[in-house]
Amino acid sequence: MLDWLRFALGAVLMLGGLFVLLSGVLGLFRFRFSLSRIHAGALIDTIGILLMLGGLIVALGFTLTSLKLLVVIAFLWCTSPVASHLIGKLEVTVTEKPERSMAVENPEAVAQVKEEG
Amino acid sequence: MARIRDEHDGSRWSRLQRWLSEGDDPLDRDLIEAVDAPTPLPDAVPPVQPLKLWKVREEARRSHRIEKADRFLRILYVLSAVLVCAGIIGVLWLTTERLPSFGGVENPANNEVPAHYIEKGMEETGAVNIVAGMILDYRAFDTLGESNVLFVAACTVIILMRIRSGDPADRLAEDAGDGRYEPGEDSVLQVMAALIVPLVLVFGVYIVLNGHLSPGGGFSGGAVMGAALILYLNAYGSAKAGRFFTFRTFRTVSLVALSFYALSKAYSFFTGANELPSVITAGTPGRIFSAGLIPYLNIAVGLVVCCTMYALYTLFRKGDL
Repeated sequence: MLDWLRFALGAVLMLGGLFVLLSGVLGLFRFRFSLSRIHAGALIDTIGILLMLGGLIVALGFTLTSLKLLVVIAFLWCTSPVASHLIGKLEVTVTEKPERSMAVENPEAVAQVKEEG
Repeated sequence: MARIRDEHDGSRWSRLQRWLSEGDDPLDRDLIEAVDAPTPLPDAVPPVQPLKLWKVREEARRSHRIEKADRFLRILYVLSAVLVCAGIIGVLWLTTERLPSFGGVENPANNEVPAHYIEKGMEETGAVNIVAGMILDYRAFDTLGESNVLFVAACTVIILMRIRSGDPADRLAEDAGDGRYEPGEDSVLQVMAALIVPLVLVFGVYIVLNGHLSPGGGFSGGAVMGAALILYLNAYGSAKAGRFFTFRTFRTVSLVALSFYALSKAYSFFTGANELPSVITAGTPGRIFSAGLIPYLNIAVGLVVCCTMYALYTLFRKGDL
């Protein structure tokens, strides 16, 4: 009974992860501007990975393998947002007219980012 | 005299000479003049040509023919693409049909050579990791070639991409301009790199040093170490990375590692082939100091791979190490 419950919980988590991955891939291909695409891609790398690997951990039980999966989650949660941040910064730096693809609330900040490169 | 000079000025040889000495291309001059000259205003509107009906018809017929040919070609293209794809799929399918089944006992790959590797490998080489025993002991010659291929690739990229001027002022300007189109000195990236780079570097060293005990080895570990160095370079810029890795480092490390590999393996091949007593012994399998030369060869290969990865990245990034 407990095993079944655990498996069901893991399956639900993995299904949720699949949904996130699917919507992320859809966003990657359907969004028009780079910043929106970064949003979709970052979704896959963070919450999608967390749900998928978390589902695996729950379904398999706590072993050395699941500890390694936890390390994988921690590594991706550390590095993927930084990568998204860098791509976003590069996008702001090189886009000639950022107002056309994103809502610019603070033009001085954009100018500063462009200045610093 | 003047006539002769005029003739000389007009001759090809003199034009070539002038072009070489002044860098003044007559073609360029014409272009510049054409651009500089003000466009003359049209004096009068050109008279309207009377419409010739037969010409219009001819034109329409021709465009219709072109359209038809275009459509025909497009259909032909799609058809031939589908046919070629289907043909390739069919050939591959038939081939896979006749391949021996995966993991079958009677497969031609299962001859006495892998059997010997699996049965005697640990005993003869002292490496728990059979793959390491294979690539760095039985087939060490092949791995030496692979490391040299990496080195030669790096040398070729250096020949093609290295643009280093001798002038110190130019060098300073180059270093200042390095990474102009990248987000440099990013504090988020720097904090994360300070956390990640040591971990990744230690992980790569672990993969290299445990190559004869667990999956891994020089190639994979060297790639991990090179990735850590590249991450450091991206986070902190080439001025800081240049403190521990310069062109001289690349040269020295590659040379020492490759010659150590070649010389030690030459010794081991010589003694092994002539059945001479050798100082290299297999040792106790499972110990960190065991498996004869394999750990040291792994270190050599790892260093070459790491240096090559880093060198390729920096050469493509700014044309220098």
